[in-house]
Amino acid sequence: MADPLKAALAISGSGIEAQTHRMRIVSENIANANSTGNTPGSDPYSRKTITFASVMDRASGVAKVQVSHFGVDRTGYINQYDPSHIAADEKGMVKMPNVDMFMEIADMRETVRTYEANMQATKQAREMISMSIDLMRN
Amino acid sequence: MSAVMGVSSINSAISAARSMGVEDAVGLSNDAKSNVGETASVSFKDVLFDAGKDMVGSVQKAEAMSIKGIKGEASAYDVASAVVEAEQSLKMAVAVRDKIVSAYLEISRMQI
Repeated sequence: MADPLKAALAISGSGIEAQTHRMRIVSENIANANSTGNTPGSDPYSRKTITFASVMDRASGVAKVQVSHFGVDRTGYINQYDPSHIAADEKGMVKMPNVDMFMEIADMRETVRTYEANMQATKQAREMISMSIDLMRN
Repeated sequence: MSAVMGVSSINSAISAARSMGVEDAVGLSNDAKSNVGETASVSFKDVLFDAGKDMVGSVQKAEAMSIKGIKGEASAYDVASAVVEAEQSLKMAVAVRDKIVSAYLEISRMQI
């Protein structure tokens, strides 16, 4: 991509796309915060994680961001006493997902802020292109 | 004197239009070095047509992306960026056309 401003638009676009994946993971974690197994002592939903990596886009020669890995959080499950639950073991303990709501909300906020920052960079680059085009007008 | 200046401004407009990405068009690449004094072998019609083709391409891309967006196959950002890119290349094409047409009119108004 010869035009650096157009490259900037593409890079910000990749950042925006990466954040949409992050948002998906956050909603998945929040939605499954109470998803348990359905046999006694079975494992519940595990919190999902996402990591990003910088990748060189060969066609345009710029560094874009990309989702590098969807992972699973290995921290221990939360044990809750609920003997009537279908997933309760012989002691009446149910394994609940290792999702921390506060963590997810904080992650969501960060996602939105990063999305906004990329959007602002897009707007700025676009405005610079428009300014150049306007130079041709009287 | 003013005729020479008029020709040079037309030539610069043509080369600007060519660098906008229309050089891949048939028959335009070999006369990229045409300058003042030589007869430009490219007609206005060709230049405008090629600049327009570039623009129409991005508008068509935006249209296809919009349909994909309505079907739910493309994200809102993809649709928005394709549409805005089309708008920008339209603006660019219109601005270049205006410049070339005004250069042409400049010459046609010349007193001989």
